[in-house]
Amino acid sequence: MIVVTGASRGLGKAICDRLLSKGMPVFGLARNVDGLGFPSMACDVSSYDAVKAVTQRLKADRITISGLVNAAGIASMNLAVTTPPSVSQNIIHTNLLGTIYCCQLIVPLMLRNKVGSVINFSTIAVALGLKGESIYAASKAGVEGFTRSFAREVADFNVNVNCIAPGPINTNLLTGVTATQIQNIVSQQIIPRQFTADAVSDLVELLLDARSRSLSGEVLHVGGV
Amino acid sequence: MTTADQAKLAVFTAIGALLEDKSIIITDETALLGGDSVMDSMKLVELCLALEDQATELGFEFDWTSEAALSKSRSMFRTAGSLSAEFCQQLDAKA
Repeated sequence: MIVVTGASRGLGKAICDRLLSKGMPVFGLARNVDGLGFPSMACDVSSYDAVKAVTQRLKADRITISGLVNAAGIASMNLAVTTPPSVSQNIIHTNLLGTIYCCQLIVPLMLRNKVGSVINFSTIAVALGLKGESIYAASKAGVEGFTRSFAREVADFNVNVNCIAPGPINTNLLTGVTATQIQNIVSQQIIPRQFTADAVSDLVELLLDARSRSLSGEVLHVGGV
Repeated sequence: MTTADQAKLAVFTAIGALLEDKSIIITDETALLGGDSVMDSMKLVELCLALEDQATELGFEFDWTSEAALSKSRSMFRTAGSLSAEFCQQLDAKA
């Protein structure tokens, strides 16, 4: 079973749909899982106790976990000096601590079987240092650092940990970002075109596949930077 | 057998099973962390997973990730004795 956070919308939903279409069993986590249509559980990943409750259910149901996709994330495009503290806290709690909590609590289920793949999510905003995304970029830079260190910590258990850093993908995270701004970001990629959730899902499939066992602690930039 | 004896047996047996050097005699003072530790960090995680299984057999859930278990001034993982004490406490609490 592959656990996917942020499964109700955006990239997380697209990834779930892709994996399900390939016959891979998915267990979705989201704050609201009403009508999701596949095995799921309501969970706010920024709550350690909520993630722990998920782990307890997975253990109780004796579900074997072979993958974890930490796609849950929020963004707020704003200058750091005009971002309220509550927004900064929400971004760090969901993007960084949410990823850490899921890895801390769900990955031990993989360590037991000595196999697994963890996919975290960063952003092109880290590599490019995008203006107006400083707090979002800070949270994701934390995810990249965590990914590299955590990959070493679980490598002996044959669990791989990698990070995908997409450029602007058409999801609700882009709300408020103008077409011009998107074009400006895309033009700084090595492949200067806007990719879709399909490209990200391709990489997720690759990283979940046994043929990517040689990759761990890597940050894969969609479009290249 | 008291709960404490039961816990100690479970923990010491699990530690012994993970050690490659079977001549090591496990005591309350056997270090699990630091330079004198009898096991590396990978083995320590394996020990936690093994104790989870032991706890399930004993009818409780061994929680090695909770704030209460991890935030004590001295880690429960420091020695075989301290780990046994924590295992016993959780066994008592959830029995």
